[in-house]
Amino acid sequence: MMHGPIIWHLGNITLNGKTLIMTWIVMAFLIIMSIIASRRLTSGTPGKLQNFLEWIVDFVKSLISDNMDYKKGAPLLSYLLTLIVFIFFSNILGLIPNVFAPLFHWIEFAQLNEILGDVLIASPTADINTTLALATLTVILVLVSGIRYKGIHYFHHFIEPIPVFLPIHLIDFGAKLMTLAFRLFGNIYAGEVLIAAMLMIPGFLVAGTLIPMPVWLGFSVFIGAIQSFVFTVLTIAYISQAVTSDS
Amino acid sequence: MNFFINGFTYTIASAAASGGGGNPVSFNFYTYIVQIMSFLILVWIIKRFAWKPLMNMMEKRRQYIADSLAQAEQERNEAARIKQEYQEDMHRARLEAKSIIEKATQESEQRAAEILDQARRETEKLKLAALAEIEREREKAVSELRLQVVNMSVAVAEKVIKQKLDIQGQEALIDQFIQEVGDRPC
Repeated sequence: MMHGPIIWHLGNITLNGKTLIMTWIVMAFLIIMSIIASRRLTSGTPGKLQNFLEWIVDFVKSLISDNMDYKKGAPLLSYLLTLIVFIFFSNILGLIPNVFAPLFHWIEFAQLNEILGDVLIASPTADINTTLALATLTVILVLVSGIRYKGIHYFHHFIEPIPVFLPIHLIDFGAKLMTLAFRLFGNIYAGEVLIAAMLMIPGFLVAGTLIPMPVWLGFSVFIGAIQSFVFTVLTIAYISQAVTSDS
Repeated sequence: MNFFINGFTYTIASAAASGGGGNPVSFNFYTYIVQIMSFLILVWIIKRFAWKPLMNMMEKRRQYIADSLAQAEQERNEAARIKQEYQEDMHRARLEAKSIIEKATQESEQRAAEILDQARRETEKLKLAALAEIEREREKAVSELRLQVVNMSVAVAEKVIKQKLDIQGQEALIDQFIQEVGDRPC
């Protein structure tokens, strides 16, 4: 984690292997969970998993309806739900000790021995490329929603109150992208750096140094939840700014 | 245990090797593109497998609850209607029963009066018949008695005649005697 990114080379293309593997782990986990959950869905008394999922759905629904006309936000519900769940589990993934690490020491393919042979596995969100990708999708959604509900009039807000303000509005727009991406990246990356630093404390296995680790892990779970919430709420807020008429 | 220690030393070694060098913010265009596509695919799959069915179920449950409430409301109205109908029926039945009882009482009274009347007439008739019977019996007794008296008179006369045949002058007396017997009511 602390060393430079593990690069896959496919011809001229270079990819951050570790980030992709971690993303796919989270994706696989979420897809498996959703398939398990969808098999036991009932319109009667819901089970524990369904209850939890319905709680998330209601939670995000209330976030949308708090910020904008729910009818305008409803088409985005699935996207926002996936966003909050993906970011949360991505953030948590970096905190889980990799008990399978020794199994991957022998696999040279795609540098899996380096990617999964570590005691700690990285969060996909600890890579700026992931957070920037998510932030880009948010910005695209803002543009698409704005054009969809206001047409060409949407771009009018870039030159308000007078055209001189255009640069400021453009910076504001770019800042949305950058702050979204770097806030999430910074929080999660910093958390992982601290975990790695704790692992480097001499005499790590001595009882005294075992105390900060669980404390920090617990706090990181909290941070992971907060950051996924913040990212989703800001996405909703930016979209609501774009679709709500000023008059 | 050996594995873990290997792992730990590996981390420390790799961290030390990097030495804090290497920019953590390293933009990689293809990773960025792959992440965008991965996330969109994830959205699509989870939407299909989880969110859509889940929301359908929630909608179905909402519908079910709304239907149940509407049905409960309808049934309550129905129950109220039935209760009112029942009360009206009860009221009507009570009135009817009352009128039937009244009628029956009236009829029975009338009937009792008729029976009494008939009985009275019957007794009257019986009394008359009895009186007539008594009269007839009396007549019969009188005539029998008269016959007996005649016979006795004849017998007395025979005796008298046998004993005092010579008493001629007494015929008028005998006739008078017989006359008297015949006139006397019994």
